[in-house]
Amino acid sequence: MLKVIHLNKTYGQTKRSLKDVNFTAQPGEVTAIIGPSGAGKTTILRSINQLIRDDSGQILLDDQDIRQSNKAGLRKIRHHIGMIFQNYNLISPLTALENVLHGRLGAKSTLAGVFGMYSAAEKSEALRLLQEVGLGDYAYQRCDQLSGGQQQRVGIARALMQHPKMILCDEPIASLDPKSTKIVMDILRQLAQEKQLIILINLHQIDIALDYADHIVGINSGEIVFEGPSTDVNDQVLQQIYRQAEQPEQAVTANEH
Amino acid sequence: MIENSSSNTKSLPTLPATKRVTLLTKPRLILRGVLLALALITIYSLITLDRAGLKFGEAFQSLGVNLKAMFLQPTVGQDTWALLLRALATSVGLAMLTTLLGALFAFFIAVFSARNLVPGWLATSIKAVMAFIRSIPTILWVLIYSVVMGLGANAAVVGLTFHSIAYLVKAYSESIEETSTDTIEALKASGVGFWPIIFQAILPSIIPALLSWTFIRFEINFANAIAVGAAAGADDIGYYLFMASGFYFNFHEVGLIVYLLLGVAIVLEIVSMKLRGHYLQKN
Repeated sequence: MLKVIHLNKTYGQTKRSLKDVNFTAQPGEVTAIIGPSGAGKTTILRSINQLIRDDSGQILLDDQDIRQSNKAGLRKIRHHIGMIFQNYNLISPLTALENVLHGRLGAKSTLAGVFGMYSAAEKSEALRLLQEVGLGDYAYQRCDQLSGGQQQRVGIARALMQHPKMILCDEPIASLDPKSTKIVMDILRQLAQEKQLIILINLHQIDIALDYADHIVGINSGEIVFEGPSTDVNDQVLQQIYRQAEQPEQAVTANEH
Repeated sequence: MIENSSSNTKSLPTLPATKRVTLLTKPRLILRGVLLALALITIYSLITLDRAGLKFGEAFQSLGVNLKAMFLQPTVGQDTWALLLRALATSVGLAMLTTLLGALFAFFIAVFSARNLVPGWLATSIKAVMAFIRSIPTILWVLIYSVVMGLGANAAVVGLTFHSIAYLVKAYSESIEETSTDTIEALKASGVGFWPIIFQAILPSIIPALLSWTFIRFEINFANAIAVGAAAGADDIGYYLFMASGFYFNFHEVGLIVYLLLGVAIVLEIVSMKLRGHYLQKN
């Protein structure tokens, strides 16, 4: 179980920050963080694996505080947290199989990592994971020859290769067409249920969030304004999450990318 | 549209009447001024040139004779074919060795001077040192090392390698900086350490660029090796070129050596084209 307690973050002088963020995410469930652009969704997600250093609070993954770990400890924890990205972030000249194998690099010694020494078992596992996400035939294709949806599935396979307890998804479908979106979201939901993973997703699209997530965390200007099962989300809740969001949305999106 | 144009014609006559339209912007004026000044200087120096009794007719005639000796009648002179070919191989070897050594050292230094991998101050200071080394020509470095180590191949190797490193660090680190920080972050997020990221993520992305730069440096080093051979007495083809032209005045041999060098340069060009074609295809 992931428990975020009293998390705070201020960015230098800018206004974007997290204010006393509390929420939990259960294994076996898809938890979606929704809210207007610039509300702090990405900051929360990146604080969890400490890509962004927050100011204060606790992040407990199975009762272990991620924030308290040293450098080596953090690497170990990160290895059990998969992450997928809006832009997939694969190494494009490499094949899908090689990218999936990268999921094991974090568990290797520096030397084995530098030379990319993978065991036969790891290679067959990578191939099996590619088959699981429906890309068995594309294992030896360079990633820049794959479509966006296919690349995102390679990203998922890479995350699974880490044997994760949790997968963080930072706007995973923002660059995908509706068909690929459905494939990717179906895979993520299936993973939560079958492998009892914690799936934590940042989403722009409310309808997708309500369709796929079991648990919803609503955030506005760095504050949690709603947390509960997706069945409890009604118009009133949505209005609260997205209040005053229409005007600054454009400007902030332009800043983010 | 119609309304617009009618209102335009009303205001049009007043505009061009007051001010002439000019295309001579300030930079263009400066450029013209510089060109004019250079032309004047050239004319002035040609007029006032001290010809010291030079007869142009004879001078051009003997130039023609020398050029003919060089390029139409190339033969071996005081050195044998075997000696010249061995010296040519020495030059190619010198270029190869210094490029390989330079590339190896440069890669590791480049990692520490890429802004997306290390703190800005470290990258900047390494780059500044490299820029300093680069700004001093290779030949000078070879001469400096000749003073330290004595004339010969050793000084040539160290001097050439030294400048190659500085050159390649710049090229390599810029290639590294072009890889997206997002892909690096993705691996960082899964707990991968620094060196595995370098070799598993960055290196595969930039290999075409690295090869391309290294090969260009190889060509530069080959040219430098010839010049250095003469300067540092590295016993390569440059040394024999220097001796044939400046000591024995054997222009037939000079011509032969020039043709040999041209041959090597053509081979290098073909190899590099094939190599780049191969990697461009893969990308």
